[in-house]
Amino acid sequence: MTLDRARWDKGLTYDEFKAAMTRNQERFAENERRVVLDPETVRTFKGLPQPLRVLVLAEDWCGDVIANLPVLGRILKEQPALEARVFLRDQNLDLMERWLNQGKYQSIPVFVFFGQDFKELGHWIERPASVTERRAQERKRIFAAHPEFGSPDAPVDQLPEDVRTRLQAELQKMRDDMVPFANAEVQRELRELVSKVAV
Amino acid sequence: MTGTPVKVKITYCAECGYEPQALDLTKALMYEFGAQLSAIELIPWESGTFDVSVDGSLVHSMKRDGGFPEHAAVNSAVRARLARTPTV
Repeated sequence: MTLDRARWDKGLTYDEFKAAMTRNQERFAENERRVVLDPETVRTFKGLPQPLRVLVLAEDWCGDVIANLPVLGRILKEQPALEARVFLRDQNLDLMERWLNQGKYQSIPVFVFFGQDFKELGHWIERPASVTERRAQERKRIFAAHPEFGSPDAPVDQLPEDVRTRLQAELQKMRDDMVPFANAEVQRELRELVSKVAV
Repeated sequence: MTGTPVKVKITYCAECGYEPQALDLTKALMYEFGAQLSAIELIPWESGTFDVSVDGSLVHSMKRDGGFPEHAAVNSAVRARLARTPTV
């Protein structure tokens, strides 16, 4: 599969994707509002030596898309020389196959940066590893602090409903508290990516 | 088959968009077993989970077994449970 102008033009702009969302629109908008762009991010993207295209693979039901695509969206607003097209993963599996996570998982979002000639410069998948690691640490901490939650590896359906509900609330709070860190990490990784490739 | 009705719990990752698979399995169980089931509980969860338990016994775990369960395998587990718990 080669990306070319004709295929690129079939993608949705960022705003078109938002308008076409069938669910999670409010969560997406709230996440976008919560993104605080690091001045270093603004400097990096404003200082791009050439305009870039970024292909996005996404779906509106995916938690990582709802969390991380708004970060790119805020960067797009700051940097008109960065042009994005969003492709729905499940309708564009040929594109998905090209950027599988670890060569096998259809993880989204995927951000693929291209030059104007559609030569790939680099890509980013799903979420920063640092966020995954921090979540795992926090998850362990929550289970250690609440013996009633049992083992983190045990099926949650075996917990009494009231306990499971409390665990769910703790996990949601943990994820919410981690949003500033996660947004900063996404920006750091995107800065590093474009700094390496956009020369 | 006239066993005591059994309960099926389906825990699915809502963050991952596994609703269609959870609903497909729910529908298949409803049509296959009807009132032989006491309940089907759907539990929205996270972390790539897709677990199915029958009367508290885990019959499929995405983490343990990989992928989504074959409906036939879940049906077999329900039938086995019904056979073990005859109505008195």
